[in-house]
Amino acid sequence: MVNKCLLFSFLIAVVSLWSSTALPAQPSVAAGKDLFKANCAQCHNRNMKDKLTGPALGGTQERWAGREDLLYAWIRNSQAVIASGDPYAVALYNDWNKVLMNPFPNLTDDDIASILLYVDAVYTGTEGGTPAPAGDAVAVAEKPKTNYFLIYAVLAGLLAIIAVVLARIIANLDHMNKVAAGEFDAPRRTLAQILTSRSVIAFVIFALVVLGGYTTVNNAIAFGRQQNYAPEQPVKFSHATHAGVHKIDCQYCHDGARRSKHAVIPATNTCMNCHKAIKKGSTYGTAELTKIFASVGYNPNTDTYIDNYENMSREEVEAIYKKWIADNYVADNELVSLDNKGEKAVKDQWEHVVASLTNEQKSSLAGPIEWVRIHNLPDHVYFNHAQHVAVGKVACQDCHGKVEEMSVVKQYATLSMGWCINCHRETEVKFGENPYYQSYERYHREMASGQRQKVTVEDIGGTECQKCHY
Amino acid sequence: MKQPSKEIWISAQDLRNDPEVLEAAHREFPEESLLETLSGDGAMERVESSRRDFLKFLGFSLGAATVAASCEIPVKKAIPYVIKPDAIVPGVATYYASAWVDGGDVVPVLVKTREGRPIKVEGNALAPLTRGGTNARSQASVLSLYDTNRLQDAGRVQEGKVAYASWDELDKEVGQALAAATSIRLVSRTVASPTARAAIQAFVNARPGAAWIQYDPVSASGLLDAQEMCFGKRVLPSYHFDKAKVIVSFGADFLGTWISPVEYARDYAAGRRITDTANPAMSRHYQVESYMSLTGSNADHRILIKPSEQGAAIATLYNAIARARGLAAITAPSVNDRAAQALSRVAEELLAANGMALVVSDANNPAEQALIARMNEALGAHDTTITFSDYSLQRQGSDRAMKSLVDDMQSGKVDALVVLDGNPVFDAAFGKSFAEGMQKVKTRVSCSLTLDETAALCQWVAPASHGLESWGDAQPKADQVYLMQPTIAPLFKTRQWEESLLVWVGSDQWDRTAEQPYYEFLKKYWQEQLFPAQSKFASFTAFWESSLHDGLLALSAAGAAPTCQMDVTTLAGQISKPGTGEELICFETVNMGAGQFAGNPWLQEMPDPVTRCVWGNYLFVPIGWDGGNAYTMFKGLQDGDKVLLTANGIEREVTIVHQFGLAEGTYALALGYGREVVGTTGLQVGTDTRGWTHISGEGYSRSFVSEVQVSGKSGRDKEFACVQHHHTMGVKGQEKNGETINVDEKTVATIGEGYQGSLVDRSIIFQGTLEEVKGLETRIREKRTAFQSLNEKTLYPDYSDIYQLGHHWGMHIDLSACIGCGACTVACMAENNVPVVGKKEVFRHHEMTWLRIDRYFYGDLENPNVVYQPMLCQHCDNAPCENVCPVSATNHSSEGLNQMAYNRCIGTRYCANNCPYKVRRFNWLDYTKADIFPVNEPRLGQEELPFGADNLTRMVLNPDVTVRSRGVMEKCSFCVQRIQEGKLTAKKEGRPLRDGDVKSACMTACPTGAITFGDLNDKEGRLHSELESPLVYQVLEEVNTRPSVNYRAKVLNRHASLES
Repeated sequence: MVNKCLLFSFLIAVVSLWSSTALPAQPSVAAGKDLFKANCAQCHNRNMKDKLTGPALGGTQERWAGREDLLYAWIRNSQAVIASGDPYAVALYNDWNKVLMNPFPNLTDDDIASILLYVDAVYTGTEGGTPAPAGDAVAVAEKPKTNYFLIYAVLAGLLAIIAVVLARIIANLDHMNKVAAGEFDAPRRTLAQILTSRSVIAFVIFALVVLGGYTTVNNAIAFGRQQNYAPEQPVKFSHATHAGVHKIDCQYCHDGARRSKHAVIPATNTCMNCHKAIKKGSTYGTAELTKIFASVGYNPNTDTYIDNYENMSREEVEAIYKKWIADNYVADNELVSLDNKGEKAVKDQWEHVVASLTNEQKSSLAGPIEWVRIHNLPDHVYFNHAQHVAVGKVACQDCHGKVEEMSVVKQYATLSMGWCINCHRETEVKFGENPYYQSYERYHREMASGQRQKVTVEDIGGTECQKCHY
Repeated sequence: MKQPSKEIWISAQDLRNDPEVLEAAHREFPEESLLETLSGDGAMERVESSRRDFLKFLGFSLGAATVAASCEIPVKKAIPYVIKPDAIVPGVATYYASAWVDGGDVVPVLVKTREGRPIKVEGNALAPLTRGGTNARSQASVLSLYDTNRLQDAGRVQEGKVAYASWDELDKEVGQALAAATSIRLVSRTVASPTARAAIQAFVNARPGAAWIQYDPVSASGLLDAQEMCFGKRVLPSYHFDKAKVIVSFGADFLGTWISPVEYARDYAAGRRITDTANPAMSRHYQVESYMSLTGSNADHRILIKPSEQGAAIATLYNAIARARGLAAITAPSVNDRAAQALSRVAEELLAANGMALVVSDANNPAEQALIARMNEALGAHDTTITFSDYSLQRQGSDRAMKSLVDDMQSGKVDALVVLDGNPVFDAAFGKSFAEGMQKVKTRVSCSLTLDETAALCQWVAPASHGLESWGDAQPKADQVYLMQPTIAPLFKTRQWEESLLVWVGSDQWDRTAEQPYYEFLKKYWQEQLFPAQSKFASFTAFWESSLHDGLLALSAAGAAPTCQMDVTTLAGQISKPGTGEELICFETVNMGAGQFAGNPWLQEMPDPVTRCVWGNYLFVPIGWDGGNAYTMFKGLQDGDKVLLTANGIEREVTIVHQFGLAEGTYALALGYGREVVGTTGLQVGTDTRGWTHISGEGYSRSFVSEVQVSGKSGRDKEFACVQHHHTMGVKGQEKNGETINVDEKTVATIGEGYQGSLVDRSIIFQGTLEEVKGLETRIREKRTAFQSLNEKTLYPDYSDIYQLGHHWGMHIDLSACIGCGACTVACMAENNVPVVGKKEVFRHHEMTWLRIDRYFYGDLENPNVVYQPMLCQHCDNAPCENVCPVSATNHSSEGLNQMAYNRCIGTRYCANNCPYKVRRFNWLDYTKADIFPVNEPRLGQEELPFGADNLTRMVLNPDVTVRSRGVMEKCSFCVQRIQEGKLTAKKEGRPLRDGDVKSACMTACPTGAITFGDLNDKEGRLHSELESPLVYQVLEEVNTRPSVNYRAKVLNRHASLES
């Protein structure tokens, strides 16, 4: 019996170990720098000393000293803090012409700590080095940084050893008991016997079934899901450049989002709206944009669309675009004519263009660019972008993440049914604004009388099967 | 009068309480197990499985699952446009106004396209011809577009096979051959297109010795010639069935197939709609016919005559009217006594109708049609129910012209034959001699879409494009022109025949180098001929764009009706004499036409409205009634037995089906089956009727034949596919002691199992006559009150609070307006990706139709009346199916929809068993070809790939509806994709949902407006006003399912003193 108890505690230890494998990294200035660039730099000056859209961040921690909780809450959702009536927060809000700070509900404590570390480091001029050991910053930095995995591993090891030792002691005592009782030839259980005893084996099997089942179920649920899927695309199109740096609206290119079920991958002629003028990329030069030209049949040398492009031979097409690549190579490297190195570079670049635009089914360069589809829903799911974008006014980033920071797009959300349902349960319908909802008379009455605070998507049937499966 | 023992019944077997029917009614699923059936045709060699096999399968599945699980998720591509067309937003449907044209049949339509591919046609509500109605054939036309059997390029025909050549080669060789020919004949079915006629004229003018012959597979030549004799113009008048108080039809199936059925059905239903039960009024319809046609089944009275007696019957009626109107009578043979008696009463009524009378006939005999014309004039029908200024151009074929063509060909006078449209070798009554004549023609070209019997005898095929790929126009009426526009670029290297003609003749009237030469030709024609005929638009561009947008051009037509110029009594000798012996009549069905739709699986699988049989034509044989409680089946045969039929010296084996309402000594068989050259799926389905249809002595095609012999049983159709007894829902029967019981209860008694509380006297059909409409009203009210008070005592919680929020979807179906044409069933298949399962699977009760049209008989036992009841998921608010699902795959939405989540369904089929309406369908096999095991994929015909497995056919699928896989249940969703789309549009536009924003596919397809779909919460909507009628009831209201579908009782306008 005692053996079993011990083994049980061992099991608990193992399970704890299992659940502790995914632990956050500790806050650092480097992480803070990335987070700042991604989240804060649009509004807050990078030198932390001058105002921009938002206040200078240097010295933030002193200003909020003693109220770090509130500072963290402010960063996640300033509106809530203002609503709570904190005098400093309200004053800050009024000072800045009642412009709200963007909420960042996804930032963890560690993220915020990192950002604050970075802000302080820049402010105090120690960026790159260790943070200045000053007051609150240190307090923040001293958030737990223990490696749980190691602790649990050591703990589990200790418990296992104790269990074995205790088992040995019990076995010895048992033996001594029996000897005292006169059973001189009573067998003495060896360690090997204990480990191969029925109870130990039963326990191991039990533990394996539990863990195996847990893993199987978890993996089965995740089967077919592609969160963080970030395939290489035929064109190294960077959303970070287009949506991030140049602030092109998502729906300029994905014009289906507001009116169709598909957000729509833009047609090549949409690219040409700008790239007729911008013929060389900031990152890849001619390497990527030539693909666009070759797809649509645009001659960048003469700035004209090529007549009868689809029926041109590969050689003719090659001549046009190789000339474009070569001319640019010459100009970029300030050469008089193409040297050997240049020739190879042009050849390589052209081969890359051809490889990206053709495949087994498509031998011609002319024609659509075959992008790799990232967000794949099963066939039995109906999803409509227009419903969410035009009617629900959901921001693109809520489901797709900060695409404007992705140079290679990845799938941000799980796109699982649970994820959809959760959002439908929480999201409030734009109930009063849209006359469509007039037919929900009872809800309007209830809201008017104060019985009901809000109407969620679920309340109007948004979690019923046939809203998405038909 | 032979009064029946029960109110409604579905067949003789049902009336007799046949054990097989009881069994079928009892069992949702058929008797034969999958393994038994599969083993029957050697698909599975061994059917018994050993433990070893079990372990093998287990191991295989586990292995397959492991391999599948370890595989990477396949990389999917997202391929955008290079240059996106402005009109297309991927994911949003675009509609184009166009017209469906098949010979002279025209249905103005809107074509729904998604990402540039047509997937559905809807009626064009702006069109004065149909007001948005459609028929099954036009609904199925999108499937013909994606037919894998279509010819893909110009080619030579060698030994019945096509060897593709190039258009250049064909144009060169055919062009030369035609240039050298001194006598060219162009053959087509009726051409309704004025521009195409201009193209043909251009050809004929440029080639001396060329002539154009039009024919109609089901000929109206007699009618046209009679019109020419009487009124001097060889065109059809316009009939207005809505204005007639008394309608008499001699064999004309004007609701199903005769001339312009969509138009007539709409008018007919309008004239029979009871808007006010306090002062009810509706037209009375007599059908004089020899077999029960779709139109006959809707008639108030059917007067039975043998097919050959039709002339005599027309003359009898004519003489009765002539006597009353002081005209000279005609000497004619006499009709049978019962019919003569009935016709004299009919004449009285026609005369009393005060001009609001209409007599029509399908007789292909000019003398008989002249009598009809004279009769109508004498009745004062001109300018009321018949108008001439807006004459119809829907039939223009001439049997005489066709006969002289055949004679010319046989005597070797024809050098070149170009078959522009049609398949005369198969579908014309001249078929055999036409085929013989063709052998003597030097150059033979066919412009058929697929290789057919005629094209197989040609040297060249110049395949035409499908209507959805073509420019064109159609003028069904003198005052209406409809534009056809392509909704997709030609899928194959095809060219519309109008264009081919202009190419071959090298016409100077068009610009061949234009991007779309025929478009330019069409536009030019409209600019020169039609633009000056209107006054609404000053500029041609505005006129053209408006016509293209609306799909139509309305012209003005006025003028007084002409008077008959001839003395019809001189025609006495030409009236056909009643034949001797037993007779066979070959008739056209709504789905198969004259055989041109044999390659369309949707139409093959659409049940014939009257017999409810699919995939074949079945010989109607009579049922005798012994005057007591029993029926005598024909020669002791069962439905599905085969007999040998001999007529005109041709013997063929044919499957029989017993049918009510056949005239004595008459058999009937549908045309258009037994095709010999038609792709794969329609090949040799049913029995050919060629040779039985023939040419009369006067040179007119004739669809009946006398001196017919029918043998005893010669075999059995092992896959007799008739959905008659599938999915029945508790029809009443009679015990031996005369007690009326419910069939379900009978099964409980016979088989000893069942559930308690089987109800006697179920409320499925309510029907009555116009005279006693008040009584019907009371009956419905009393029953419903009783049901509702019973239903109030329920343990179910009350959800009305939820349903009152937002929308609560519902439907109303007017059984008086439903003519059973089946347009809705095909529309449903097209809209909801309902699979086609094939004859064998239908035989096994596995048809997948979400919407079926139940046909019930009532009234006289030998010549009953019919009520059609479209039956679909009733979306019960107390749905019995929902309670029994172990995984809650079917459940209820707050909008009152009975939802079916396919991805959740595990296929227990409890729901189908528990559904009192029998509307749930189970995917027994992989009908949509998503599986990898070939044994699970049924074949429809002799095709290599199962139907629907190829990428071409799959283009017809509606991308907004899931394609269901094997092992899941499915059923009508109330077109939830349309509901969601309508709601989304309203939300995006920031406005409340309007009545009519959401229409189910069946509603839009219906030619008579029998189906109304809408929001029950919308108190101003059309649905709400329909439901206010006191004739509205719910099917099986007594079982407290609280259905969302409401029916309006069938009302007939029977003449009290007339027997049948």
